[in-house]
Amino acid sequence: MIAHPLRIAGDTNIGKVRAANEDTLILDPGLGLYAVLDGMGGANAGDVASQLASDTIREYVQHRALALTPCDLLEQAIIAGSAAVYSAAQIEADRHGMGTTVVACLVVDPSYIVVAHVGDSRAYLLRGGRLQPLTRDHTIVEELAGRGLLTPDEVERHPYKNVLSRNLGSRPDARVDVIEVEVRPGDRLLLCSDGLYGYASADAIQYVLGSGDAPEEVARDLIELALRGGGGDNVSTIVIEVPAAPASSTAAVRTAGAVAWWQHRQRFLEVAAESALARNPIVRGLSAKDAVDLVALSLCQAIYHDLEKSTGVNVWTFAQNLAAGWFERGGDWKPVRAIVDILGDCARAVLDEVRAADSQLGFLLEVAVSRALIVVELALGGLLAERLRQIDDDLVELHSATMDTLEDTLESEEVPEATAPALAPPGELLDNPTAPFERSEGPAPGDEAPPEVVGAIAKILTLARGRVAPRDALTGQILAALQAVVSDSDGNFTMAVLSARGLYGVRSVDPAGVAPLFDAFDQARVVVAACAQQQRAPIAVRVRALRALSTAHQRLASAVTGLVLEAVGPYHDRLREAQATTAELRSAVATAERTRAELERQFATVVDTRLPWGARGTSDW
Amino acid sequence: MARAYEVLRPRILQRLLELRTELDPSLGRLDEATAHAQITAVLDHLGNFIATGDLGLHRGFLHTFLAMRAAEAQSPGAVLAMLVAIGDTAAQVAQEAASGSGEADELTLLLTRVTATTARGVNDLIAEELRERSARRAELARHVREAQR
Repeated sequence: MIAHPLRIAGDTNIGKVRAANEDTLILDPGLGLYAVLDGMGGANAGDVASQLASDTIREYVQHRALALTPCDLLEQAIIAGSAAVYSAAQIEADRHGMGTTVVACLVVDPSYIVVAHVGDSRAYLLRGGRLQPLTRDHTIVEELAGRGLLTPDEVERHPYKNVLSRNLGSRPDARVDVIEVEVRPGDRLLLCSDGLYGYASADAIQYVLGSGDAPEEVARDLIELALRGGGGDNVSTIVIEVPAAPASSTAAVRTAGAVAWWQHRQRFLEVAAESALARNPIVRGLSAKDAVDLVALSLCQAIYHDLEKSTGVNVWTFAQNLAAGWFERGGDWKPVRAIVDILGDCARAVLDEVRAADSQLGFLLEVAVSRALIVVELALGGLLAERLRQIDDDLVELHSATMDTLEDTLESEEVPEATAPALAPPGELLDNPTAPFERSEGPAPGDEAPPEVVGAIAKILTLARGRVAPRDALTGQILAALQAVVSDSDGNFTMAVLSARGLYGVRSVDPAGVAPLFDAFDQARVVVAACAQQQRAPIAVRVRALRALSTAHQRLASAVTGLVLEAVGPYHDRLREAQATTAELRSAVATAERTRAELERQFATVVDTRLPWGARGTSDW
Repeated sequence: MARAYEVLRPRILQRLLELRTELDPSLGRLDEATAHAQITAVLDHLGNFIATGDLGLHRGFLHTFLAMRAAEAQSPGAVLAMLVAIGDTAAQVAQEAASGSGEADELTLLLTRVTATTARGVNDLIAEELRERSARRAELARHVREAQR
């Protein structure tokens, strides 16, 4: 129809499942006519229908361009295409029922495009980095939804969601939806069959369309996207790009750093390709080129977009994406550190080049890029701190489980000492918050002690009881309990636990709590130690007696501590519940933050039309 | 560079104290005296690090600083954010004072690099702590499994 300066490319693919490609493209710059037609019908009738409709539409536009307005021209051309398919289907029995969808656009001038469609082939507009649908599918459920009879959720789950309400060929005429689009410099228009959006998410389509790559590459990459998503249908794409306006000098100065950075990206990628990046476990399984593209190019793009907009959102998102998945798979820190260091080296290589060309710009860019790398560290630090918090939660639970196990062991009479669980190597103090002062099972303190040691123990305790003031009944009770524990010939904790219960007594309802009990423990320890020194027995005997009493003291204190922990168990559970709730809230906040960041990125991303192709779009990866 | 930093240090301290609530929530929650002490400790150390470039000393400082803040119930993530906020502000003050002079520009760049090194060092320390606690978790889990058998 007119000569126009738009950049346009299209591609089509049979997909991975279908036996034939029934899609047809119209790519006619001379007419300004572009369309995707998705044929349907058995016995290879689908490709016949789409090809026949395509030929008819093209011929109609060619011959009636001067006679009709653009909207009428496109609408009538499509109706003519429908009539042609319908007629053909009536003539040959094996083609009965064939039909095709169509989405077509007529470029009237570089700022005005007419879009028309029938069926479920779609048109999208990418503007400001955001993908907007221009068409609404002509399916039964969409029609019902349009009348308010179905909710979006019901549409998504509806068994007939793919059943078309309109197509070309089912009737001699066709109801065509036509819209006029005022396009702006930097816009991209996408025409596609359902083989694309049925197998690729809108986010992924938006990303590829906004990648800044040339339309030829975008059309091909979109098809690749659908194939990776399963390729269950023929897939066709046409990408139409409206050229960007030339940059103003003011804007060019403002983005000088970003442009300089982007212009040197090749150096960044070269250094990355020569580095150990591709051997990093995070990108294991990827080819060297894919690894560089996935990691280095993504960071390069993220820095560029952040420089352009003076934010850190893209770099933050990059770092989160890089490390979060790796951590979730159980990966450790070293590969993350290695890959970030490599990327830092790549950045320095670029900065050296910029600085060599323009020292002042190089200085400003180096400050900005260093700040971007700080943002990377901040994002990673957030992830590490979160993991640390999760591990702390796990530790609390494990300590609690350890304590439960210990108590079960102590209270189980059926468990012989020899088979009692070994919680630590013999003689080794367990550094375990839920079993403080605990020692492993071993012989009872006084068991098999020579008579002189037993006698010394008795004398020490007698002397100690004499030293305790009559009103200090609690210390006296502890000394009596020590006597029982140290004399316990069974060699297990039973006596210690029984004595502890006697001592603990009413502590849980005592207004003074357990503090006086532990004060008394301390007092008893001091008194016993002092009395041991006053014994006239040989030093070896005194040492053995004191060691036995000390062990008994530890067992008793440990058993009391166990009772205290048992008493606070319910509060501990409540604390854990509160911690779990807090963790959920934190997680919800983190999710909301990520959503906010994503929205901010989407809304903040403006395709800079002054930049060369390949330098535009979003930085998702 | 160290001398240039020392000249700017009172101004950096003043700015940090004035803006601490806006700069970083962790700093904002502290009372004036505590905030002053913490910021001064960091600025002192930054001066030392700029003068010596001793990474071992830097790591030692960060380790102690993290441990002390942990004892005050500050998460490592908050400590990282606080250190970055201090470093950023220092660089910003230096940049404002630069007025195109080569030395001040270099100081701005140096402070930014120091902040990046600090952030890197803090993350490595957090990762180290994470590894140790993960090992402890594995050991405890093993104990529990053995005991339950």
